[in-house]
Amino acid sequence: MSGRLSPLAHARRTRELSLGALALLVTAGGYVLLALSKAPTVPPRLWGFLAAIAALFVCAHLAVRRFAPRADPTLLPLAALLLGIGFVTISRLDLNATKFDPAVAPAQSVWIAVGIGAFVLTLFLVRHVRSLARYRYTFLLIGVAALLVPLVPGLGVEINGARLWVRLGGLTFQPGEIAKVLLVIFFAAYLVEKRELLSSGSRRLGRLNLPDPKHLGPLLVPWGVAILIMVQQKDLGSSLLFFAVFVAMLYIATLRSAYLLAGAALFVGAVAIAYQAFSHVQERVSVWINPWVDSQHTGYQLTQSLFAFGSGGFAGKGIGLGTPNVIPVNRSDFIFAAIGEELGLIGTVAVIGAFLLLVGSAYRIALQARRPFSQLFAAGLATILGVQTFVIVGGVTRVIPLTGVTLPFVSYGGSSLVANFVILALLLRISDESAEEAEREVANQARLVAIESAHA
Amino acid sequence: MNIGIRRVGLAVTALLVVLIGQLTYLQVVDAKSLEHDPRNARDFLKDLRSPRGTIVSADDQIMAQSVPSHDEYRLQRTYPLGALVSQIVGYQSIVVGNTGLEKTYNAALAGRGRKDVFRNAIDSLRGKKPVGNLTTSVRVDVQLKAKEALGEQRGSVVVIEPATGRIVAMYSNPTYDPQPLAGHVTSKVQAYFDFINNAPGNPSLPHSYREIYPPGSTFKVVTATAAIDTGLTTLDRVFPTLTFLPIPQAPNNPIFNFGRESCGGDLIQSFTNSCNTTFAQLGLELGNQFPPHMQQFGIYRPPPLDIAPGSVASTGPAFNSFDQNKPRFALAGIGQGDVATTPLQMALVAAGIANHGVIMEPHVGRNVLDGDGRVVSTVPNKPWTTATTPATAAQLTQMMINVVKSGTGTAAQLPGITVAGKTGTAQTAVGEFPHAWFVAFAPAEAPKYAIAVLVEHGGNQQGDATGGHLAAPIAAQILRYLLIG
Repeated sequence: MSGRLSPLAHARRTRELSLGALALLVTAGGYVLLALSKAPTVPPRLWGFLAAIAALFVCAHLAVRRFAPRADPTLLPLAALLLGIGFVTISRLDLNATKFDPAVAPAQSVWIAVGIGAFVLTLFLVRHVRSLARYRYTFLLIGVAALLVPLVPGLGVEINGARLWVRLGGLTFQPGEIAKVLLVIFFAAYLVEKRELLSSGSRRLGRLNLPDPKHLGPLLVPWGVAILIMVQQKDLGSSLLFFAVFVAMLYIATLRSAYLLAGAALFVGAVAIAYQAFSHVQERVSVWINPWVDSQHTGYQLTQSLFAFGSGGFAGKGIGLGTPNVIPVNRSDFIFAAIGEELGLIGTVAVIGAFLLLVGSAYRIALQARRPFSQLFAAGLATILGVQTFVIVGGVTRVIPLTGVTLPFVSYGGSSLVANFVILALLLRISDESAEEAEREVANQARLVAIESAHA
Repeated sequence: MNIGIRRVGLAVTALLVVLIGQLTYLQVVDAKSLEHDPRNARDFLKDLRSPRGTIVSADDQIMAQSVPSHDEYRLQRTYPLGALVSQIVGYQSIVVGNTGLEKTYNAALAGRGRKDVFRNAIDSLRGKKPVGNLTTSVRVDVQLKAKEALGEQRGSVVVIEPATGRIVAMYSNPTYDPQPLAGHVTSKVQAYFDFINNAPGNPSLPHSYREIYPPGSTFKVVTATAAIDTGLTTLDRVFPTLTFLPIPQAPNNPIFNFGRESCGGDLIQSFTNSCNTTFAQLGLELGNQFPPHMQQFGIYRPPPLDIAPGSVASTGPAFNSFDQNKPRFALAGIGQGDVATTPLQMALVAAGIANHGVIMEPHVGRNVLDGDGRVVSTVPNKPWTTATTPATAAQLTQMMINVVKSGTGTAAQLPGITVAGKTGTAQTAVGEFPHAWFVAFAPAEAPKYAIAVLVEHGGNQQGDATGGHLAAPIAAQILRYLLIG
């Protein structure tokens, strides 16, 4: 198959494979260390485990080779690294599993397989990014519907005080995760179409140029609805994420800092209202300001998280050698604290570094994209990954008030994994498209030069 | 559009870099204090599963040790001497936390005290977990004597080496068995904990250092020292012989001598016969100078005892309150009213006189040894407070010798050994029997031991109890055992 690849595609896929091998090595190393912390023998299931993760990675790699051969070579290995670190951490936390806190690594491995399936399917189905723009209103509708589903009696379930999940058969699913991606498609398409109108402004209010509400309305209404739904479902983290992504995309499309100011003002207003209206918002804020006052109750989660980071110190306790089982919700929201305890600052900075590279690559893909829609869409997806990482890591390290979202690729959670794999596939699709167009342009140029020199 | 993407990309990158900054703060700058925060269960959980050193008495008896158990903790802390030393040793408990020496020396017992990098590395290569064994100054035989001497009576006995501050015995009745608290079954531990906290006499409270009582006439040691140091009196100043002393601001409440007898003479006679009228008068004469001198003896501050959660502070009248409240200063002169002390504090008062005016920090811990018996650390003998000058201490010693030789404390005499002491019979609430006190040190010429004995509310002698009749014989019994055998 590689024989049919262009030199660029060949080089990129080779690099992806070798970087992927490194990610697998790190994962396997973590798995061995975890086993060694309990017994002085190499785990008997090591080879099976290695074969399984290698097979999963190769599956994803082959799909990229087949459907997006020129795509950026760093995204998939970085995702594999984060996934590996997350899986080892989840397996480690499973060592302390109890009747009330059962093991989740088996479920997570199934979800990883499902996520890779979704990845391959996305690459297969979405051959041209611009085709997505065509269905923008359909995606808007599906996105809002997906946000609403958990509120339907009988389908929706409430977990930890937030009603975000749908239970179908034995499986719970969080449709909001996918809605995120769908709504970003809508925003990107709509903003690209209307950006001239939105950035020039046709109404004057004093010294301010305001865009026609006719054009702004279709943006603000679905966005407002999305936020209201999330507030209703008590999903503060997603509201925050959504808000940030929307403002960022609006700014990228129009380059008008007035939107940033308006966004900031709206944010402050929304926070003030939410603070007044919801006791759980007040609680989050007061715990953030001082988690030690009520460290046994409202501040318990956060202080336990901070203790984990402090106990890990610079080098960490070592995989399997700490006590991360005392951290609440340690497989999902607080998984980063568990990493902080056992891998130390070295590990946490490595994970943040991987996210920096991942998000950086995603923005580079946005910059290299040839069409405005692809650019804006890629930037929106990059912002989702970056801001989501900031919201949860900032929450568990007390940089900002804690709001529960998953750490992309690392946390346990099926819907989140599937959504992030879809984001990954879409970014690779955009990257492949721009590389292909660049290649074609170079080829055309070469042909032109050849024709000109033939005429001369 | 590219400018926008770059700017947003930079902003998001900056956010992630902020996280690295915060992580560095949490995991490097603030790491130690987070790791060892008492609310962080990690150290505690680790300690429960790790080998832990023994706590040994000065007479080589094991007071606490870990033995193998068959549950998830693999080790069970045991206290072979039970209630006899529980108020010193404390306990290690999953449910209610650690207390006593188990808490104070927790890190040392868990083997975290050894700074010898080389030996730590060797042990870690040999797979040997470090432990620290704690040796103490407590003598189990003396604890037992104190227990026997008190019998069924509620009270406390504290024995200290004046020159070092080492505690030889510190026992109070009632006490409790720590073993059930070290159990691993939460519900049982909690039930026992509730039981001892609600039992009559509050046995879980170490009364010897965490309860305060009016010290009565034993406090005249402090009053006399303050009066000599301030130049108010010499040993030969003659005080009027009175049956009662009228008190300013309290015309209806004069202070009577014990038994409404008449009492007086020079300072030595007043002290030997424990004249309330003389010392109430000195309390009034001292006025606002009195509290600072009490403070020099350690009143108003908790003594730096190495038994968690530490000693409580003894109390006295408020500083500079003399003009508003003269009667309280008269009462303070005879160890009543606002004055309330722990038995430990009164032992320290005696120890201070015995040690030429300097009170040493009271402590039980002596050495921490590693698994191979090498000394890892030593608990130092440090001065705590200077109560008075050597000259005044010598005069007080003379006065206290007189008390035992010919005054209220003759019951504390020992053959061939000079004992210096002071009795106290402290009034308590109306309708309650008085507390009987005795503080002493011996041999008076070269003091080896200072002692405080308190028998609460008259003990076996009820209304007839006095310090001289009830507490002094107990002190004599223990000093005799210590010095003669």
